[in-house]
Amino acid sequence: MADRTRRGVLAAAASLPLLAVSGCKGVGALAPPPRPGPDVIVLRAAIAAEEAMIARYGTAIARFPGLAKTLTGLRAEHRLHLAELRTRLVIPSGSPYRSGFASPSPRPAGAPGAAAALPAGQAAALDFLQTAEDSAAAALLRGLAAVPPSLAQLLASVAASESTHVAVLRSAAG
Amino acid sequence: MSGTAVGPGAVSALQAALAAEHAAVYGYGVAGAYLDGPAETTATAYWNAHQVARDTLEAMLRQAGAQPVAAAPAYQLPHKVDGPASATALAVLLENRVTAAYLGVVAVTDPAVRQFGARAMATAAGRAATWRGRTVAFPGFPRGAFGNG
Repeated sequence: MADRTRRGVLAAAASLPLLAVSGCKGVGALAPPPRPGPDVIVLRAAIAAEEAMIARYGTAIARFPGLAKTLTGLRAEHRLHLAELRTRLVIPSGSPYRSGFASPSPRPAGAPGAAAALPAGQAAALDFLQTAEDSAAAALLRGLAAVPPSLAQLLASVAASESTHVAVLRSAAG
Repeated sequence: MSGTAVGPGAVSALQAALAAEHAAVYGYGVAGAYLDGPAETTATAYWNAHQVARDTLEAMLRQAGAQPVAAAPAYQLPHKVDGPASATALAVLLENRVTAAYLGVVAVTDPAVRQFGARAMATAAGRAATWRGRTVAFPGFPRGAFGNG
């Protein structure tokens, strides 16, 4: 548990010292808000990508009951990815970046209103999901250089998991 | 990748990956003997892949001015291998260990080395999933590292 807390020390806290400094200086408080660092940008993108992926699987599961078992298993892994990625993003209270991302009660992916577009037809949908998994993994790899080692390890692991999903989807397509 | 210069910080992580690849080459030699049909074909292909990965790591280390770690003359198997089920279980374990070793390479700050480690992780995770028959959420990390892995 202590280990988990240590891992949770995260990217967005990088903006904390800046906030603290501006809080100490009267005029400094009027300065533009600190911009999120490159690691925070990568993490936010990873979180958004997982939310989108979960929504796509939600649509596919509802539309293709025959694939539900396989797709539900893959979606469950995306939910674990999302949960872990969110723990790495801690936004200081009062931060102008607090709203809009990493909120504790995110818009429910896969819920009504969050339905993701998916091509009609099972074969096309499976193909689309393969491409989506592949692109998501590639995007994570592109972000690796911008983040500290422990986050890089998480992103690489998530990317590896997504790569394995491509093979599962391919065999589901027959 | 073998054309990329490797800094001293990366050497120990690459040596650990090389040690895992040596163990995989040895282990597949054992596992392959108990597999036949498509599983044997797969084992042979993966065995070759681990030899290629080993050679790549050795080249990277030499280029960094380091002496690559040698394979042990024999390895203690984690469990008795006497049939297809235990051979498959061994293959899963070998791939898990290789994936975990490359996770260490991802912690290296050199962007090219990090990228190399991440790609190798994905490859090993794919092989592990093939043997296991299912995927995992966090390849390379110990099971249960994040709530449920």
